[in-house]
Amino acid sequence: MDKDRLAAFADGELSPEEAAGVVIHLADCPEDQAYVDDVIAASAALRAAFAAPLAEPVPAAIHATIFGPPAAQVLPFRPRPRLWAAGAALAASLALAAVVVPQLGREGPGAVAQGPVVPGPLPDSSELADVLASLPSGQVLALERARDVMILGSMPIEGGYCREVEVVDRSAATLDVALACIRGDAWNVEVVLREGLENVQTDDGFAAAAGAEVQGLTGFLDRMAAGSALSPEAEAAAISAGWRP
Amino acid sequence: MKDNFLRNLVDVVPKLRRFALSLTGNRQDADDLVQAACEKALRNAAQFQDGTRMDSWMYRIVQTLWLDDRRRARVRGVAIDPDDVALSDGGKAAALPGDRMMLAKTRAAMAQLPEGQRAVLSLIGIEGLSYREAAEALDIPIGTVMSRLSRAREALLPQLGESRGPRQ
Repeated sequence: MDKDRLAAFADGELSPEEAAGVVIHLADCPEDQAYVDDVIAASAALRAAFAAPLAEPVPAAIHATIFGPPAAQVLPFRPRPRLWAAGAALAASLALAAVVVPQLGREGPGAVAQGPVVPGPLPDSSELADVLASLPSGQVLALERARDVMILGSMPIEGGYCREVEVVDRSAATLDVALACIRGDAWNVEVVLREGLENVQTDDGFAAAAGAEVQGLTGFLDRMAAGSALSPEAEAAAISAGWRP
Repeated sequence: MKDNFLRNLVDVVPKLRRFALSLTGNRQDADDLVQAACEKALRNAAQFQDGTRMDSWMYRIVQTLWLDDRRRARVRGVAIDPDDVALSDGGKAAALPGDRMMLAKTRAAMAQLPEGQRAVLSLIGIEGLSYREAAEALDIPIGTVMSRLSRAREALLPQLGESRGPRQ
């Protein structure tokens, strides 16, 4: 019988009918049976000769190529409460509105009290400045005009601190995630990310944190060389000290 | 990048290392080859069709990179395969215990096969692919797979001391 056919039989490539025909032939042909045995033995020898990697763990260098080096996977520890929506259950839509970057000459003191968070210096008298000065992280505070605020964390920077704050405006159906920093006396809103919210009921009353806006702030924090979030004790001390370093 | 893409990729790495070892003949070159293949896979992740076989896609990347390396080595005049000297080594291999001798002879025999035959024999004899799967992985016609396989075995079996029957 043709060697290719015998090899195909040994490789399991033949249909059941074809294979049965070969089996019948092999019964009468010891030479061909020997060849089939040789092909099978050669495959076994090949597998044995090159088997070593199969039993080994993935080498660190290859693992790092696929998943990134281990150090890069460790995110700076920033204990933060999950994004929330107190009271009415809202869930964040996935549409992220434009990033608002700091500009000069924004509206004056009235702006923050009236509308959503905008970048720029915060007057001491403003509602948000009060919140930033005294509200510990992780607590929801209801503000006027259907707004709720929560601070996600406080990070030290050179000469002061930054606090990540979220404001949910239920009437405007917006979620603002902002970074406000203080060096000395006054808070300055460095950046605000705004997201539209939809009135979707969630089981636990929590809105999911979209990765985008959280990561968006991370870049700003990195640029400011912000340290890890303060522990509750350190944060309480900073509040007591009026956020002076 | 999708999580399951990376997981599927890392899951096939042991098989890829074995395939690469059968092609290159040494552990370091094999791992370098698999590393390069993973880097290429990450760059081309968008071309991978979700739901298709990761191993098939990666076998092809490994083989392509290997052929590229060998072409460059040839151009530079670098010897890339052990000579027959390795086999006729003054009988040293014959002095090894039976199992080890077989392993050594098998590796040497594989290293002497032309590239196309080596890749086909590896995918079918070691990795266990069907003829059709090997044809798809190497992007060659199934007839080419069968003829390369046939020639590979013609060269290999005598070296393994396995061939006992007369030629048909």
